[in-house]
Amino acid sequence: MNDFLRELKTLDRRKFLSLSLKGSLALAATPALVRSLLAGEAQSLQLPDSLLKKAIATALKRGGDFADVYVENRITRSILLEEGKFKSAVFGLIRGAGVRVIDGDKTGYAYTDELTEEKILRAGEVASYIATSGKKVQPTDLKEQKRPSYITVKIPLEQVADSRRLEIMKRAEEAALSYDPRIKMASIDYYDEIRERIIATSEGVLLRSSLPLIFFIVQTLAVGNNTSHMGRERLSQHAGLEMFELFPPEKAAREAARESVAMLEAREAPAGKMDVVIQNGWGGVLVHEAVGHPLEADNIARGTGAFVGKLGQKVAADIFTMVDDGSLPNFRGTTDFDDEGTQMKRNVLIENGVLVKYMTDILSARQLKMERTGNGRRESFRYYPIPRMTNTFIEKGKDKPEDIIASTKNGLYVQSLSGGSVNPTTGVFNFTCREVYLIENGKKTVPVKGATLIGSCLDIITKIDAVGDDLDFGPGICGKGQSAEVTAGQPTVRIRGITVGGTRQRG
Amino acid sequence: MDYRAIAEEVIKISRKKGADLAEAYLATGRELSIQVRNGEIESIQEASSYGLGLRVITGHKLGFAFVNDFRPQSLEETVDRALNFARILTADENNVLPDDPGVSEVRGLYDPELTKVPMEKKIALAREVEALALKVKGITRSAGARYGESEGEIILANSLGLLKSYKSSGCGFGVGVVAEKGEQKSSGYESCQRRFFSDLKPAAEVAGRAAEKALRMLDPLPVKTQRAAVIFDPDVAYAILGGIIQAINGERVLQEASFLGKKLGQKIASELITIVDDGTLEKGLASAPFDEEGVPTQKRVIVENGVLKGFLYNTYAARRAGLKSTGNATRGGFNSLPGIGPHNFYILAGKAKPEEIIAATERGVLVNEVTGYGINPVNGNFSGGAAGLWIENGKIIHPVKGITIAGTADEMLNGIDMLGNDLDLNRSRTAPTLRIGSLQIGGE
Repeated sequence: MNDFLRELKTLDRRKFLSLSLKGSLALAATPALVRSLLAGEAQSLQLPDSLLKKAIATALKRGGDFADVYVENRITRSILLEEGKFKSAVFGLIRGAGVRVIDGDKTGYAYTDELTEEKILRAGEVASYIATSGKKVQPTDLKEQKRPSYITVKIPLEQVADSRRLEIMKRAEEAALSYDPRIKMASIDYYDEIRERIIATSEGVLLRSSLPLIFFIVQTLAVGNNTSHMGRERLSQHAGLEMFELFPPEKAAREAARESVAMLEAREAPAGKMDVVIQNGWGGVLVHEAVGHPLEADNIARGTGAFVGKLGQKVAADIFTMVDDGSLPNFRGTTDFDDEGTQMKRNVLIENGVLVKYMTDILSARQLKMERTGNGRRESFRYYPIPRMTNTFIEKGKDKPEDIIASTKNGLYVQSLSGGSVNPTTGVFNFTCREVYLIENGKKTVPVKGATLIGSCLDIITKIDAVGDDLDFGPGICGKGQSAEVTAGQPTVRIRGITVGGTRQRG
Repeated sequence: MDYRAIAEEVIKISRKKGADLAEAYLATGRELSIQVRNGEIESIQEASSYGLGLRVITGHKLGFAFVNDFRPQSLEETVDRALNFARILTADENNVLPDDPGVSEVRGLYDPELTKVPMEKKIALAREVEALALKVKGITRSAGARYGESEGEIILANSLGLLKSYKSSGCGFGVGVVAEKGEQKSSGYESCQRRFFSDLKPAAEVAGRAAEKALRMLDPLPVKTQRAAVIFDPDVAYAILGGIIQAINGERVLQEASFLGKKLGQKIASELITIVDDGTLEKGLASAPFDEEGVPTQKRVIVENGVLKGFLYNTYAARRAGLKSTGNATRGGFNSLPGIGPHNFYILAGKAKPEEIIAATERGVLVNEVTGYGINPVNGNFSGGAAGLWIENGKIIHPVKGITIAGTADEMLNGIDMLGNDLDLNRSRTAPTLRIGSLQIGGE
């Protein structure tokens, strides 16, 4: 119940939580695989095509333009290592199906935890009541399709013994605690899942897929003389356990530890307007919030978004190009196709400052008579899909990062951000910084306390005046009534004149 | 389905397979969500669902598994999964389950009439609140209206003999509107949530408030970076309460990751401030007869006249601290282990009328929107984006947007020098209007 109450409160506010994911190093040889001896895990989700077909027919029996059935099976593992102890481990087995009907601008949706014919058809029946327009559509016969996948797996999660997961966590813990005597505690969260999907639509699409996902979070607590700081680093990919060869757990741990120790020396941050340089990588959350959310086509179709009516117009500086690409190999925001069966692809949203595309799902693409961009996503079978970002980033530019800092007389250097949010109607956004330094006379100098940055989306993208050549990405969780796995990326950029919420009066 | 029997059966299987202790947390529920825009239904979602979370302890090692498939072989697999996980973890003698059979008496958690209210009436309420808000002069668009409800039952059983359950319900509606003037866009949102359908506010009141929130922020003027008084509207109380709630989490205190960890018995806030955590409030949105591992809930004073009186504990953290659980175990749902969190958490009302607080303010801002993460629970630092109404010489003179406010918890909590009488206990985390005498504001 609390979920729905929370949702009511946050009707039009999007939250984004994330952390940086940087660089990659080769890793030592992988120990031999141990097969899971437990039965059932590799069993695939099985529902006969005839039932899917029946469910679509039931959903459309009162009319409507479109119907789909989404079936999901999710196996999750979540392990916590904290204060030197493997404190808890959680295993999850969740399955269910949802049936949706679209009739004009209206959506009817119902779901069930029970994958029985009776319950799935009942969901179709409940969803069917939304159709009142009298329009009828004849469903196309289902034909199973094979599509290219952007996710390759070397060490499948279902074949990995739990002890190997613990070993990776232990490596991170040891690296964090040995980094500096001021690190008093490390907390290592390991999460992985295998999500199986079946998508069947009244347009004849029938797809089956199984995707792995790993999310690894290291938090470290540094205690100084008068202050403490919790540092954090996250790793995530749609991949098997080989992810840790590309992104060693020790490196993530040392990065979190470095941040927590560095910030013990933080002085008061200045308050007021100043120039801000944001380091490459996960800082791309800035465009995710400020520009990405307002470019999701549900707001556009409703006529309330900040970018309504601006297609084809110059909205940003010439050096600004922004992309959403759900096909980047193994990225956290990548899937083979979205949760409506639309194939993922690279979508340039803003090209050299000109707005060229919105991100659509099936409904908003119909409403706006635009192409489907592969952004129809959902948290689980308990939600119907809505337009969501995937891997969203500022395309790289030509400036050298060191030149960007050197040519900034005074300002702030933001090394990492905790996250932010935006009001998509007004475009007013905010970010909370994790690790920030002063720039004095073109040099990065002392750390200052995590301050808030605020501004308006239409304003900020005209104020970006330097874009580096060092594009990088970071993983995160994006919330919009339902949560989605995303990455945000950017090269080092500079924004002229942004309001900073420090505690120290300047001048 | 006989859910009680399922919970008891799972415990029995767990014991048979070698668990020293086992606990089943079973949640069942029904939800309805209606979205309306420009008078038309945009979506209707309806469903029932259920799930079970199983906690097992073997040799003081803790394992957990959750499932929403109640066929016998799936339940059996769930037990195996939890036990296999437990066996590879670290033993901790603080892994115990509660055995207190008591329940607190809490009235008004479940509205038996909610399901009987016809669907048409619920759709009409969402339509009405939107139509009324759109009628207000200056409001140009709807950002959508919503009605939502849910009801469910929690069944909690453990191998120490506990078997408790309760039903609860909730319903609410809200509307978002936009006021446009030239190139300006200003949005306002208001909602109302209650346990009982008949307690919901009239649509006109919610509509009027949403429209007022959008309109009052038109034609903002910038302000200079400066120190001035900052008045927190009850709508933004969470910006102060959120960090305190995390900092009084007993486990965080044990980990020395709380700025309040060493302040028990000390003055942490202005003498005006008394903070209560109440799990027993009648019709309270965060009330329950027992917490999410079965310990009876309480009403406790956390801060009394500025002095910190206690922390929040679940069974595990309390045992580590050598104390008793305070009935503050919380879960994100059947799929999570018990953590620690508050029930209805609020600052007691003061004496001043909100308009008196404004009138007594020479220069400052009445903040009605705060963004960001609030007070950092580890070190007490605070920095947030803000918007509100600028005050000079005791009068509101213009709206202000795009400012920041920043300080430390110590500076903010001790700096509270006026407290309003406008506490609304229909919200689960709330405070009356309060004023901080001087805080850093970032602007032009």
